[in-house]
Amino acid sequence: MEKRSIKKETLTGIIKKIAGEMRVFAPVKEEDGVFFRVLGEGVEPQINYANTKNAPKNIFFPRTEKMMKYTRTDKGMEFVENGEEAKDAVLFGARPCDARSFVLLDRLFDQEKYKDPYYVDKREKTVILTIACVHPPYSTCFCTSVGGSPTSEEGSDVMLTDVGDSYLVEFLTPKGEKLLKYFGDTQADADAEAKKKEIAEKAASEIASHVPAKEIKTFLDENFEHPFWDTIHQKCLACGTCTFLCPTCHCFDISDEVKGPDGVRIRNWDSCMFPMFTMETSGHNPRPSQKERWRQRTMHKFKYYVDMFNAISCVGCGRCVMYCPVNIDIRKIVTDISKL
Amino acid sequence: MENIEKKLREEAKLLLAEKRVDVIIGYEKGTLPFTATPCFITDPENAEKLVWNACCVQNLAKFVHDVISQHKESQKRVKPEDRKKKVVGVVGRGCATRSIVLHLQEKQYDRGDVVIIGVPCTGYIDGKKLAVQIGGEEVLEGSVEGDQVKVKTASGEKSITLKDVLADNCLTCRFNNPIISDIMIGENAPPMDPDHEYDEVGAFENLSTEERWAYFTKEMGKCIRCYACRQVCPSCYCKVCFVEQSQPRWVGIGADETDTQVFQLMRLFHMVGRCVDCGSCSAVCPMGVDLRKFLKKLDKDGFDLFGNRAGSSMDDPPPLSTYKENDKQDFIFDP
Repeated sequence: MEKRSIKKETLTGIIKKIAGEMRVFAPVKEEDGVFFRVLGEGVEPQINYANTKNAPKNIFFPRTEKMMKYTRTDKGMEFVENGEEAKDAVLFGARPCDARSFVLLDRLFDQEKYKDPYYVDKREKTVILTIACVHPPYSTCFCTSVGGSPTSEEGSDVMLTDVGDSYLVEFLTPKGEKLLKYFGDTQADADAEAKKKEIAEKAASEIASHVPAKEIKTFLDENFEHPFWDTIHQKCLACGTCTFLCPTCHCFDISDEVKGPDGVRIRNWDSCMFPMFTMETSGHNPRPSQKERWRQRTMHKFKYYVDMFNAISCVGCGRCVMYCPVNIDIRKIVTDISKL
Repeated sequence: MENIEKKLREEAKLLLAEKRVDVIIGYEKGTLPFTATPCFITDPENAEKLVWNACCVQNLAKFVHDVISQHKESQKRVKPEDRKKKVVGVVGRGCATRSIVLHLQEKQYDRGDVVIIGVPCTGYIDGKKLAVQIGGEEVLEGSVEGDQVKVKTASGEKSITLKDVLADNCLTCRFNNPIISDIMIGENAPPMDPDHEYDEVGAFENLSTEERWAYFTKEMGKCIRCYACRQVCPSCYCKVCFVEQSQPRWVGIGADETDTQVFQLMRLFHMVGRCVDCGSCSAVCPMGVDLRKFLKKLDKDGFDLFGNRAGSSMDDPPPLSTYKENDKQDFIFDP
């Protein structure tokens, strides 16, 4: 594995240089927070930010995406593939939790048997450049409870670690090594490894939220019906904030937008919190109230995903905790379940 | 404030113990600093959980409507002679009672379905303003002490004047005491600053059409269609929202930004004479869309044209559901 060392002040310049040659998604400051955006000319990528408001999942799995086009002709329907192939890109400045979310999403979108071409194409062509959390950005962070860590390398192609006066740059995958040329020739110090280990241990110990996420599986296995499910949902607004900001929520709906003889088939983010999510054509809704929807969200993250893909579908970024308008706190839900 | 909280808990406990209400909807302490979260209390002993402070944000009338309509729906499956009434108690600040008045005027439920524990209100903290004051840092601990907000962040402790972080709608609130109530807790709160409620709208009105449209499209460009604004709004109680109707489908959900604009425009127009300026929609928006600017303009129009302020009195019916011979109508021909 290649390891380089760069002076801290050179990082912005390096990212801008890459952005001059290919598409770079980077955290950008906007009036209401920091968001992942395509880095435009003259825009400063954020380096010392806590975390973005939106998860970077939209880069591989956009909120709305064309799947195909069709036209009604005299001879019948003509279908055309979307045809927009992804281009090489870099996702700069992901946090380790968000980078890890892609490993979890891969298990669904990039299976041996079923591959989602839209996701896989973009995912394969994007290099993920992560900045380790030397200090966990929020007291709501709970990555260590769900299998991650503030310095986790899972999902990253290149990892940047702030080691004081410089960044340690580790090229973790062949894909990541494609960016080697941008990071100079200064080899990392011999003691960089030890230094990083120390940083990693310290960062993990600074995580303030501990959630017994791995302990609730048995309860969930056995308690599809339980009075506990009556206690979470009442105040839920049934909005999509938690699922839309979540790095691992991935449910979508497919719809057609038709104008005259022309149509486009698009897929859009959907949310298990929406009453329409499970509405059937007949008008029957198997998840008739927010109670069943909350049970679904909890089960999907901490049971179904574990059953199917052997991983909890949560990276502990804490966005849903911070941005839920009515303070429904997944940490509390999990903790409460663990006590039952 | 502590005194109000104490009395509030006593009254709530009594109402539940005497079975005058089936549930009390109020606020309890949240899991993060400066949060209070809606709660539903049925056990008199749990009335102790109730809080009343500057962190109580959402308009609880939304939940009153939800609980009553869900109950009524469930009673349809019960034999008429076995049907039960459900009475909802609610902690009602000025704006929440305005919404309840509106619900009553719009015949959503009966006055007897709801018991209002009126509370005086001096405004709630706007999390976005607070974030600006502390430079976007995370709040680790915080408390409100008198007119000061004490905030602890990683870089130290800071004291901020409460007024500097109150929500805009609270600062210029005209109705910060309950319009109607069954039990009133504490003395009426001192007036806020309603004389300046339309200052921002006035400035906005003075912009050119292009500038106003540019602002609208910029703000709506942030929307991610999570519908938190609609969901939290007590006036948005349609059983099926037009954006979710599929036969016919009125708006798409795809990349066309006009679809999002149409959703927001239609929601805004449905708010004419029905927005009580509780600020909930802006408060819950995860993307910081400035919805209030447009709603306040409609509110101003409602007052200028029809002398109406939504939910401000049982005797002041919503302008769009009333007809008066001297109603202004020139705006129809000369907008």
